[in-house]
Amino acid sequence: MNCGELDELGSVEVVDSTSVYPTGLQSIIDLFVSLPDEEKRETLISYAEQTGKWRPREGESFDLEDIRKDEECADTVGVFLKVSEGDKVRFRITLGPQVQTLTKAMTSILCRGLEGATLPEVLELPSDFVPKIIGAELVRARSHTVYYVLTRMKGICTVFRNRKRAAES
Amino acid sequence: MSSQNYAHPESLVSTDWLAEHLTDPNVRIIESNEDVLLYDTGHIPGAVHVDWRRDLNDQTVRDYIDPEGFAKLAASIGITPDTTLIFYGDKSNWWSCYALWVFTLFGHKDMRILNGGRDKWIAEGRPVTKEKPQYPATKYPTPSGRKDSEIRAFQQDALAQSKAGKPLIDVRSPGEFKGEITHMPEYPQEGVLRGGHIPGAKSVPWKTAAKDDGTFKSADELRKIYVENLNFSPSDHTVVYCRIGERSSHTWFVLTKLLGFQDVLNYDGSWTEWGNTVRVPIQKP
Repeated sequence: MNCGELDELGSVEVVDSTSVYPTGLQSIIDLFVSLPDEEKRETLISYAEQTGKWRPREGESFDLEDIRKDEECADTVGVFLKVSEGDKVRFRITLGPQVQTLTKAMTSILCRGLEGATLPEVLELPSDFVPKIIGAELVRARSHTVYYVLTRMKGICTVFRNRKRAAES
Repeated sequence: MSSQNYAHPESLVSTDWLAEHLTDPNVRIIESNEDVLLYDTGHIPGAVHVDWRRDLNDQTVRDYIDPEGFAKLAASIGITPDTTLIFYGDKSNWWSCYALWVFTLFGHKDMRILNGGRDKWIAEGRPVTKEKPQYPATKYPTPSGRKDSEIRAFQQDALAQSKAGKPLIDVRSPGEFKGEITHMPEYPQEGVLRGGHIPGAKSVPWKTAAKDDGTFKSADELRKIYVENLNFSPSDHTVVYCRIGERSSHTWFVLTKLLGFQDVLNYDGSWTEWGNTVRVPIQKP
C-alpha cells in the first residue's frame, strides 16, 4: 500500500475512544495493525520514500528549529516546529542521507500522524505504538533509531513549552 | 606489494567484475545490511536478501542457525555448494562480512566480498531494482556440522586468550574501548552495563582497514598496519571482537582473507556479552 492509497483511507475513522494517540496517528496505527507483514514492509518503504514531503517548504516559518547531529543517530536531523492557535503543532523534518530507512519511514508517519495534534498530546505520547507499526520482526538491535525522531519531536516541544511558561511567568 | 597481492585475492571482486557477472548462473549475489529495509528500497539486479537476524540467527537461542537451518536457507536462495557467492551490503560491508563469516561456519567454499559494497555500486550509478528475484529451490546438502571451533570464539576462549596474553583485537571505536561510552557512536544504547575492554586487548578499530569509500586498503597498507606496526603475526592464534560480532567480522575478513592469517577467531558474543557478564574482568585505560 502506498501513501497515496493511505490518503484515500485518511477519512476512515477507526478510532478507539480510549485511545491515547492523536487521531491521525491512531488511524495509521490501525492501518498497520491490519496489514500482513509483507504489506507492512511495503507501506513502510512507501512512507520512507515520502520523507521529502515533510521538509520545510518555501515561505514557511517556525517557532523553533533544532538541527543537529547527535551521537545516537547516523546523520544530521533537523526538526522544525510551528505551534498555532490552540497549541496545535506542525512538524517539518530534514534527514541526512545516512539515516536508516525505518527511521525515515517513522519520520513520515509521525509528521503526518501528529499534524494538528496539540502540544500536550505530543508531550504525553507514549512510544509503545512503534512496535505496532513496524512489527515485532523489525524491533531489534540496530533498529532502535526508529525511536529517535519521536524523541527529538518531544524534545523540541518541551523546549517550546518551557520557554512559553517562562515568558508567561 | 600492491593491492593485487592480497593473500586470497579471489575473496574480493570489483564492481566492474560484478557488473559483468550479473546474469552468471553460477553466481549468486547476496545483500546483507544493517538497515533492515534497505534491500527493499532497491538492490543490485538479481541479488537476494539475507537478513542477519531473521536468516542467520537462531530465533530463540543467542546462536546461529544449525546445519539443517543453513541447508534450508541455502536451498531457498537457490544455491548449491558449487555456487559462487558475492556478498555486499551497507556500512562498508560490515554485515556482508558477517554473513560470509556465518556461511563459513557451514563450509561453503567460494565466497567473495564486493569491494566497496552497496555504497560504491550506487555511487558509480550502476543499476538497482526493487524486483525481488525468485530462484528455483535447490537441494543443498546439510553440512555435517558447524565449524565453530575453527573460526568462532566463545567467552571462555576470549577469557583464556586474555589470561594468556595472546593477541586480542578490539575493533570498536576508541570511545567504546576506553569505556567512555557504552554505545556505538551514532547509535543508541544497546543495553550494555559496563564500559571498557577485555583485559589485554589492543584497540584497532575496524575502520583502520578501510578507505573512506568503504573499499579495503591495499595489501601493503594492511600489512604495515597489522603486522609491522601492531606486531600481529599471521601464525598467531588471534581473537577479534566488537559489540555483536559484525564489525569484527570485517576485521576477521581482512586478517584471514586479505592478509592470510591462519588462525583467527571471531568472538561474536563480543561486548554485549562480556560487558554484561557477572564476574568477568574488564579493563579501562
